[in-house]
Amino acid sequence: MTKYEDVAVHGYEEFCKVVSERKGKDIFAYFSGDKDDQGKSWCPDCVKAEPVVRGELSHLPEGSVFIYCQVGDRPYWKDPNNDFKKNLKLTGVPTLLRYGTPQKLVEEECFKADLVRMLFTED
Amino acid sequence: VVGGGSGGLACSKEVAVLDFVEPSLKGTKWGLGGTCVNVGCVPKKLMHQAALLGTALRDARKYGWQIPESQTAMAKAVQNHMKSLNWGHRVQLQDKKVKYLNMKGSLVDEHTVRAVDAKGKEMKMSARNIVFAAGGRPKYPTHVPGAEEFGITSDDVFWLNESPKKTLVVGASYVALECAGFLAGIGLDTTVMVRRIALRGFDQQMSGLVTVYMEAHGIKFSWKCTPKRVKKLPSGLLQVTWMDLNTTEEHQDTFNSVLWAVGRAPETKTLNLEKIIVAADEATSVPNIFAIGDIAEGRPELTPTAIKAGRLLARRLVGRSTELMNYENVATTVFTPLEYGCVGLSEEEAERRHGKDQIEVYHAFYKPLEFTVAERDATQCYIKVVCLQEGEQRVLGLHFTGPNAGEVTQGFSLGFQCGLTYEHLRNTVRTHPTCAEELVKLNITKRSGLDATVTGC
Repeated sequence: MTKYEDVAVHGYEEFCKVVSERKGKDIFAYFSGDKDDQGKSWCPDCVKAEPVVRGELSHLPEGSVFIYCQVGDRPYWKDPNNDFKKNLKLTGVPTLLRYGTPQKLVEEECFKADLVRMLFTED
Repeated sequence: VVGGGSGGLACSKEVAVLDFVEPSLKGTKWGLGGTCVNVGCVPKKLMHQAALLGTALRDARKYGWQIPESQTAMAKAVQNHMKSLNWGHRVQLQDKKVKYLNMKGSLVDEHTVRAVDAKGKEMKMSARNIVFAAGGRPKYPTHVPGAEEFGITSDDVFWLNESPKKTLVVGASYVALECAGFLAGIGLDTTVMVRRIALRGFDQQMSGLVTVYMEAHGIKFSWKCTPKRVKKLPSGLLQVTWMDLNTTEEHQDTFNSVLWAVGRAPETKTLNLEKIIVAADEATSVPNIFAIGDIAEGRPELTPTAIKAGRLLARRLVGRSTELMNYENVATTVFTPLEYGCVGLSEEEAERRHGKDQIEVYHAFYKPLEFTVAERDATQCYIKVVCLQEGEQRVLGLHFTGPNAGEVTQGFSLGFQCGLTYEHLRNTVRTHPTCAEELVKLNITKRSGLDATVTGC
């Protein structure tokens, strides 16, 4: 029995749809550059951070939601007006955040397991 | 370290910090970062900026911009910023391997602190050194019936979920005037009730300019009045009865909100302490217990002094330095609608220390260029530099009312720190066109009795 729901999405619209279907829940989201057919992302920091984040998922609160979101390809991400930058105010990938709060970890902060655990466990 | 505010966070390094916010009487609470981040400097400056932008929008129309009338939902944006600062501090502590506990600390003995969390869970912590940095909280006038029940303080005003509407601000400190300033600036009916004088401890001529400007811009002042009681009417409005100290007559009026800004008290009761008196090295009567920031008696109650004192204390405790905090020459700024920045002595204090004959006061009434097209009244825009009469005329105090007073003051305070003299000012070439350049143009003395209004370039 899993404590949390693990959902994978691709792109801004799908992300918003999944969030809107889970109103009232504690939602954590990890934003990464798209993975290729071999499962490797164009974003090297995302490749480095993912195992760290996944390693701490067991600390997610009961009943929470973890969304793994691929944002798009590199040109899409580089565009300063893309939906993630404009609407979610993301500044870099990877970003790990608690939806609806100012709590987030950006880029190298995601490499640190203790910071990830702190995000998942503290109020 | 007990307290995670400006002083406490600066001091924490390879230590543990306890931070706990006792909810206000209205139930307002906030996160890590202390008064400055949550119920002081940060929200104050942002709301002051919101009010200034309201003025700027009005000015903009004079400059030809077509701006429609509109209301703004400002509070949420400010609150979100404060929450992001809470998080930022939390990440920093974790990154620096500082143990952080959201628990209330009290002293058991010289090496033991008792920590209690919100649920009542207790633990004892022992430490070689203990630093108290729990700050202060606003005082309620407990002798006024209804004060605690119906009034709010600065703990609450930045976290309200709806507009306070017609507000009575009681007090004349910079907290009172700044709050009244931004409340009026965002369009609310605002009254300030002052018992005796405004900005006690500050130069009183400058204080007068600040309050005259506020009155000229729609903020009502009830001078020499003191509240007697607060009652809640069936309509939900608050009825305040006060006494005019000149006539001893009582008056009444109704308000939606009453904001008490009648002083702050150090958070020592919860530490099983009366008062904390410190030496120059922040040490108390117990050799391994220290206190920094607002909680210590007789220190300036400012964020930057708490931060610097905290850093220097930490360095001394680990044996890396012997440098003591210097509390002299600290520049401050009051962020009222007309901002007031100063460093050094007031004119009164300079006269007291040196004698009226030994000082020379250079002054000027100036008009910011930006005010011209905007048709703004610059009558209270004023600069005063108080110097010693003899020799190079060392500057004892520097005072400035006008836009961006904080920015201007910080620059000149560096000169002040280095032993600024009137000669230095006169030998400095101006940056033009600015308000700050008026400081280096000063040439009229109060003693001469000449008109100090700046004319021409």
